[in-house]
Amino acid sequence: MRASAPKTLPQRPAMQEPDEFDKLYRDHVDLIYRYAHRLCGETESAKDLVQETFLNAYQGLKDFRGEAKASTWLYTIASRACIRMRRKRKGEPEHELSLDEFVPTSEGEFRLQVPMDGLSPEEALQNKELRHALDQAIEKLPSKYRMALVLRDMEGLSAKEVGAIMGLNERAVKSRLHRARLFVRRELSARGITHHGDHRSGGVSS
Amino acid sequence: MTKKKTSASKKQVRPSSHRHTHGQRHCVDLLRQLSAYIDDELPADICREIRRHLGACPNCEVFIASLQHTVTLCRHRPAPQLTSTERVDMRRTILDLANAR
Repeated sequence: MRASAPKTLPQRPAMQEPDEFDKLYRDHVDLIYRYAHRLCGETESAKDLVQETFLNAYQGLKDFRGEAKASTWLYTIASRACIRMRRKRKGEPEHELSLDEFVPTSEGEFRLQVPMDGLSPEEALQNKELRHALDQAIEKLPSKYRMALVLRDMEGLSAKEVGAIMGLNERAVKSRLHRARLFVRRELSARGITHHGDHRSGGVSS
Repeated sequence: MTKKKTSASKKQVRPSSHRHTHGQRHCVDLLRQLSAYIDDELPADICREIRRHLGACPNCEVFIASLQHTVTLCRHRPAPQLTSTERVDMRRTILDLANAR
């Protein structure tokens, strides 16, 4: 007598996916590393995040049906992994940014400037001091604001795509992005960065 | 983009009709909409109103320029890249971890 067929098909073990995984890894590892580095601000944490992201992707590959773009799927996995990893490390709730805290209270505060001095952004970013101030300002942002800023202004995604990744509607994305930009603007302008003699010093990679 | 908007705003300076002390409600309202303005998401009539305000309010004009610069710097900040050895090593670690689980 033949054994009755199982009601559900057995799940394919993950090991049967090496080719699919290799293609996914090859096509997206640079993108996810760039994103991870922008979120984490340093190399080792960024590598840990890439590893965690692709490990989760490997295990979830059989369930990924290509309804979303692979890059959007990976950005989502990386974002969630980042929040989990940060929570584990820091263990403290993050504070909200209120718009009121960015309303300048004096004329001087209103007129603080972010130094560009008529330079192109690439030229301005040759200034090590400005580059570090920008990185530090982004690093100081609470995670959910940093994520919105990195995805929208640095990775160049649309508000709709950022919403899909972060599980938010577009309005909420724009609200977070606006607060994040105001925060970074305040941090940068309050530093009083100058361009004296620093345009050519330091590579842009650090 | 900033330059275009800034020059447009200069053409519309009306110091007599728009002179005001700073910290007025108008400036605070503007501050709430600046990202939408920078991202070209506002209706044309509101953009016109904002440009008119910027022309009359140097503080807001400086403020928006600094916010625009912030966004520009974020957009152009280069990120470091993995070396090919790092890519290969990471792939191996991921597959080892996946098979160990």
